[in-house]
Amino acid sequence: MYELTGEGKKYLEKGLPEIVLLKEIEKENEIKELKKKFPNFNIALQWAKKNKWIKIDKGKVILVKKPSRYDISESLKRISKGEDIEKEQRDILLKRGLIKEIRESIEKKAKEFIGKEITNLDPSLIKTGMWRKVKFKKYNVKATGKPLYPGKIHPYQKFILNVRRKLIELGFKEMTGPTIETEFWNFDALFQPQNHPARDWTDTYSLKNPEYGELPDKKIVEAVKKSHEKSWNYMWDEKKAKKLMPRAHDTAISPRYLSRGVEVPGKYFSLVRCYRPDVVDTSHLIEFNQLGGFVIGEDMTLKNLLGMLKMFATEFGKAKEIKFFPDYYPFTEPSVQISIKNKNLGWVELAGAGIFRRELTEPLGINVPVIAWGIGLDRLAMFALEINDIRELFTNDLKWLRNSKVL
Amino acid sequence: MPTIEVSIKDLEKLLGINIDVNKLKEEGILFVKGEIEEIEDDTMKIDIKDTNRPDLWSAEGIARELRGHYKIEEGMPKFQIKKSGLSVLVDKKVEKVRPKTVCAVVKNLKLDDEAIKQMIQLQEKVCQTYGRNRDFAAIGVYDYDKIKGPIKYTTFKPRELKFVPLGFTEEMYLDEILSKHPKGEEYGYLLKNQKEYPIFIDSVGNVLSMPPIINSNYTGRVDCNTKNVFIEVSGHKLNHISVALNIMVTALKERGGEIYSVDVKYGGKNITTPNLSPKKAEVNIENCRKILGIDITGEEMIKLLRQARFNAKNNGRVIEVEYMPYRNDIMDERDIIEEVAISFGYNDIEPEEPKIYTRGKELEIEHMSDKFREICIGLGLQEILTFTLTSKENILNKMRVSGNIVEIANPISSNWNVFRNSLIPGGLSFLSDNKHVEYPQKIFEIGNIVKIDEKEETKTKDLRYLSVLLTDIATGYENISSILNSIMKNLGIKYSLEEENDKRFIDGRCSSIVVNNEKIGTMGEVHPEVLENFEIEKPVAGLEMNIEKLLP
Repeated sequence: MYELTGEGKKYLEKGLPEIVLLKEIEKENEIKELKKKFPNFNIALQWAKKNKWIKIDKGKVILVKKPSRYDISESLKRISKGEDIEKEQRDILLKRGLIKEIRESIEKKAKEFIGKEITNLDPSLIKTGMWRKVKFKKYNVKATGKPLYPGKIHPYQKFILNVRRKLIELGFKEMTGPTIETEFWNFDALFQPQNHPARDWTDTYSLKNPEYGELPDKKIVEAVKKSHEKSWNYMWDEKKAKKLMPRAHDTAISPRYLSRGVEVPGKYFSLVRCYRPDVVDTSHLIEFNQLGGFVIGEDMTLKNLLGMLKMFATEFGKAKEIKFFPDYYPFTEPSVQISIKNKNLGWVELAGAGIFRRELTEPLGINVPVIAWGIGLDRLAMFALEINDIRELFTNDLKWLRNSKVL
Repeated sequence: MPTIEVSIKDLEKLLGINIDVNKLKEEGILFVKGEIEEIEDDTMKIDIKDTNRPDLWSAEGIARELRGHYKIEEGMPKFQIKKSGLSVLVDKKVEKVRPKTVCAVVKNLKLDDEAIKQMIQLQEKVCQTYGRNRDFAAIGVYDYDKIKGPIKYTTFKPRELKFVPLGFTEEMYLDEILSKHPKGEEYGYLLKNQKEYPIFIDSVGNVLSMPPIINSNYTGRVDCNTKNVFIEVSGHKLNHISVALNIMVTALKERGGEIYSVDVKYGGKNITTPNLSPKKAEVNIENCRKILGIDITGEEMIKLLRQARFNAKNNGRVIEVEYMPYRNDIMDERDIIEEVAISFGYNDIEPEEPKIYTRGKELEIEHMSDKFREICIGLGLQEILTFTLTSKENILNKMRVSGNIVEIANPISSNWNVFRNSLIPGGLSFLSDNKHVEYPQKIFEIGNIVKIDEKEETKTKDLRYLSVLLTDIATGYENISSILNSIMKNLGIKYSLEEENDKRFIDGRCSSIVVNNEKIGTMGEVHPEVLENFEIEKPVAGLEMNIEKLLP
């Protein structure tokens, strides 16, 4: 417990010198004059300056801003009412000699506990040493505590961050691209013909607003057009390529980077949301996370691709058994799918991959093999989080989030 | 991509051996890039993944390919073609409607129920997927014994001709078929705006069909009693429809049929179809080794390619191959290299990680997001994760605002028809869903929003945002303002607050967050009408800001 000193009482009544000073300088602001009139001028000046209320210019005190509220005044008032204040404020007031501790009151308080069985260990008992004369009530220490809800990272986000960290450890550089893509990058640059079942490889959304975007450098567009017309034997339509759509697969990002120039040899990845108009059920979402990327290098082979996929299966899928399946993607040849053995579900697809077709890489100015892969991250997260319904990954269930384990 | 149904017994008959279904599922089916999705009694549902291999979309095609890999019959399959003497006269009038056709006759068939089922399934899948829903290629199969040649491919006016369409008993005019027959309703759009409709008709006036819509009930009905068939494929490009015809006749050949050619006469220019002369390609042996990463000799490659039904011979540094023209997928040497790999067996290649040294690097914005995440968690906030797709209702109407937003043309649900331009509505939906969960509730989200931006290549721009929402019986501006203060202080970011008018928040309790003289976000007490719209019953104070603007 604290009480005001004589000085403290005086200031409570008349106002702290720094506050008085602010009133005073409205009439007189010459330092020379103020010093004469004002007994506590130095203290007042020091605090007013510290609070940035005033500045001194050519021997005059100039007002910078008036405080609407002053913590030290407030604290003084609270002490006078016998209230407790924050330590930081208490220290200032003690240092300025405006308050002092009430020794007698502490002893009085502590004495009341003597011989009794206490619940809370009062600070007065520690300060006076009288804790030696009390008994401590025994608690039921076996009772579990009341739960608190700490701030937590979203479990799926945590999973995503772990995957990202892992890839960076493995030497991959992160790429990203816009959520809304032109069909050019989502399809055309990936050698998917404009009017061919290969383009239905995935059913996609299109946009009402905005409808069309722009195409990149003419040189690339011409090269892509030529590649399509030569291999697929149709008239490539520039307007269709300009159409905007939500990115349907992670692979849409790779040709952007390849066309801009990448390190060779190099390893790249991206981890983004993709969109497809599916019927939402326990295993399908219309918005999902995909992880994908490529390794580019003169000596890259199918054998290396399989090696990389196997490593992903161990790192991300904790898989003990893996199996490769021949697969089809319009943009890779050879194409492969890797599945991992899950004890409940049997063989589960982990990733699709392949070596980018030359019809794709050459128009982008790349003449070395590029081994590419894509992983549906949601399915992997379901395994890690022990979730059976994919919709729970984006659940609005606060209870579940509060109770989820930290990954 | 197409999923087809195949009878196990039928496949065994076509292969000439008994099948161990488990082994087929684990190994054999991989040779045709297939996946057995379901087995019920004798029926297997097989997903054939290659959209470029319509020749594999039937039991006959799968059997032909597997015979190679089971070493029953290797190399390129052989097909004999005899002359039927039948002509199809193509009238100039079809040029504007559906200009091309190729035809064939297959004789001496003994079709059982399964064979008929496979033929119909193949015809459907080829028309649907390869033929773009009959636009690029439509196939008609007819009872050859009911047809008197020569056949004419011409056009008629809608009311100029009547015939009984398949499955019906009465004669109908052409326009009636388009409006009343189920197939007319389904595919009629392909003949939209045409003044005359394409017709195959024989020399005694029997209609065969109105492609690509429907066959006639008389000639176009094929069943177990049909011995000889006439097949036509119609479309826009000869090379395209020829592949479809080749697939149909070679599949019927697997059923014991004999292929006969037809003379298709285009005015002065005659072609004889089907044309099953082999196509040729080359593959460099060294390139094959380099791409696959396996040590393989030319002789081994030849053996593997013959199992994949290619003819192959070594010519020094290259292997010369021949393959059937129903294969539509070979554009590059790589396509043949993949055949070598599949025959070799992907699981027989020893995987080897790429040995390349590179330095990993995450995106700056992810690094930045992590810093915000760390402080928010320290402040006791629970992270949430919501969809970027949302509803117009949520982000505009309920928030009392209007605006130009990114909108989907073909949404499957009005719950997901636009991209979010703010994180706050998603957060409010979250709070609304958790009204009965213990308070206080303090949440944050870090994620992308999408805004329209004419300057960008994609006319839109992704922005990384942070939002924080607090709700309790009593919570307000002061609480959210100290959260912001702590976040900014801990990141060493100097900011100021300016009075802001924003209809989403209570007037006089809303500010804009300003950093380096630029507004980066908004903070305030959510307007009670917004709370009402989200059916939230406790006060909510919140903020959102563009953290991308804070990147160093």
